[in-house]
Amino acid sequence: MVLQCQDITKTFHEGKVATPVLRGASMHVDQGEVVALEGPSGSGKTTLLQILGCILSPTSGRVEIEDQDVSQLNARNLAMVRKRSLGFVFQQFNLFPALTVLENVEYALNLKGVVGKAAKAEAKALVDAVELSERGNYLPRDLSGGQKQRVAIARAMAAKPAAILADEPTANLDSQVGGQVLELFRNLARKENRGLLIVTHDPKVRGIADRVVNIKDGVIQS
Amino acid sequence: MVDLGLKTLLHDKTKFAITVAGVAFAVTLVLAQVGLFNGLLDNSDLSIRKCSADLWITSHNTANVDFPQRFPETIVERVRTVPGVSRADNLLFSYVNVALPSGASENAVVYALKDFKAWNLPWDIKDGQIEDLRRGRFLFLDEGARRRFGDFKTGDFREIQETRLRIVGQTRQAQSFTTNPISFMDYDLLASLQPEFLGGKTSYILVRLAAGTDVGTVRAEIQRRLPYQDVFTRDEWAKKSRDYWVVNTGIGMNAYLTVFLGCLVGLVVVGQTLYTSTMEHIKEFGTVKAIGGTNRDIYAILARQATVAAAVGFAFGLAMALSLKPLAEKIYLKLIMPVPFILLVGVGTVLMCLAAAMLSFRKVANIDPGLVFRS
Repeated sequence: MVLQCQDITKTFHEGKVATPVLRGASMHVDQGEVVALEGPSGSGKTTLLQILGCILSPTSGRVEIEDQDVSQLNARNLAMVRKRSLGFVFQQFNLFPALTVLENVEYALNLKGVVGKAAKAEAKALVDAVELSERGNYLPRDLSGGQKQRVAIARAMAAKPAAILADEPTANLDSQVGGQVLELFRNLARKENRGLLIVTHDPKVRGIADRVVNIKDGVIQS
Repeated sequence: MVDLGLKTLLHDKTKFAITVAGVAFAVTLVLAQVGLFNGLLDNSDLSIRKCSADLWITSHNTANVDFPQRFPETIVERVRTVPGVSRADNLLFSYVNVALPSGASENAVVYALKDFKAWNLPWDIKDGQIEDLRRGRFLFLDEGARRRFGDFKTGDFREIQETRLRIVGQTRQAQSFTTNPISFMDYDLLASLQPEFLGGKTSYILVRLAAGTDVGTVRAEIQRRLPYQDVFTRDEWAKKSRDYWVVNTGIGMNAYLTVFLGCLVGLVVVGQTLYTSTMEHIKEFGTVKAIGGTNRDIYAILARQATVAAAVGFAFGLAMALSLKPLAEKIYLKLIMPVPFILLVGVGTVLMCLAAAMLSFRKVANIDPGLVFRS
């Protein structure tokens, strides 16, 4: 298993008010598996994604990334785990506007320790894989929403992370483009044998997922 | 490596221009202000450095070359008898009133000697023969006097201390810290223009030592024989004259204050621009953290931006300051910017910009990578 969590709870405190968001959530993602995490707004799915993505620490419970317990790691070590093992795709794309398509991917590789010609070659291969070879030197502002999300996917795959976590990757795309992006995403994940967790409202994700996990009120339903 | 810091900085060209302009303004302010101050300070001891005297004898506790106290001119005879002295002459220094053709009047500084050539005064003659000063009611006037006296040419007459004197030559670069124009005339002529004030008196005694003589020994002997005068080497007297303006007046403090304000302006402009830029790119920094970057990676981005802004701003600021130099010379002002000083300002600019960037460091240290999940 590339991602696994057991009995995760997460409570946010604001002043004296405690808001429990996750109440004993457990799930896993295997290598090469595509898992859709569905749930209504406020159900805790993005919080769970952030905990599995080593961005938030759980209040209690155990999180394992590539069989390493990361539940008690500090912020610096969590950053190391993200750098080594995880890739992210965001709803808002979050590309660097001053960097070209190729540079966006190359910069992610640089952060993960791949530099020089190796980084340039891998960035080009990833951009080719998401079928944006012709747009390599374009800035994000010159790309459509679907193209931006494909760049984000290429960036997430940089340096071959064990798992990719995607937060509503089709929310800002129209139905047709969203479908194409999901197809591409699934094919690449399968081809590269990556675990893929997609948090979504989009029913199309069900069509490409190997498994669907539902969450409601901070509890995994299935 | 992809240079995210540089590319982000250059991406918004307007903001980059504002940052660079802020730095350039601060650099120009510091360079020009200190350069002008250096120019004035250079004037404060210029005549001492240019004069070939090894020792200067002054009245006791004379503050600087521009404010001499008079003492009996016969003292020079006692100096001439000191072993190791090859020559000693009286130098009169005074302020005279100059009536201008416009009806206004101004002051001028006068250096008066019997033999100017013997002491390398004046040091830069534009036209005329300095020996002519002994032949009548003549004077040499520095070309910089035009700023105060209006235009004049060699051969013109000017009324000085109510006496018509003819300008028989002009000098260059003879300027005083007090900004009074400098003139040169014969010793006896100046004494006759201010008889009650200068009659039988001198302002300084210039001393030249015989070859191979020990300066310290001769100086000590003169000092022993003249207990009511002070004896300085050329360097000591130059330093005393210069330090007077820097330490004893508010002018030095004023210059340092301007430098401080220049740095403060630069710091605030750069700090504010970098901080605003950081806030605008906060989500990008969050993304850097989310995909595995650390605070160190983000500090490096901010430091890179600050360094580039400093380098470009410094280059523009230096160019502006250098372009002011010929303009200053047109109005007989000197802008002196030695290379070590320019390098110091360059290093200071980088440090200033890095300090400004540190205002943003605290902000980015607390960036929550989770913010990239918020729409």
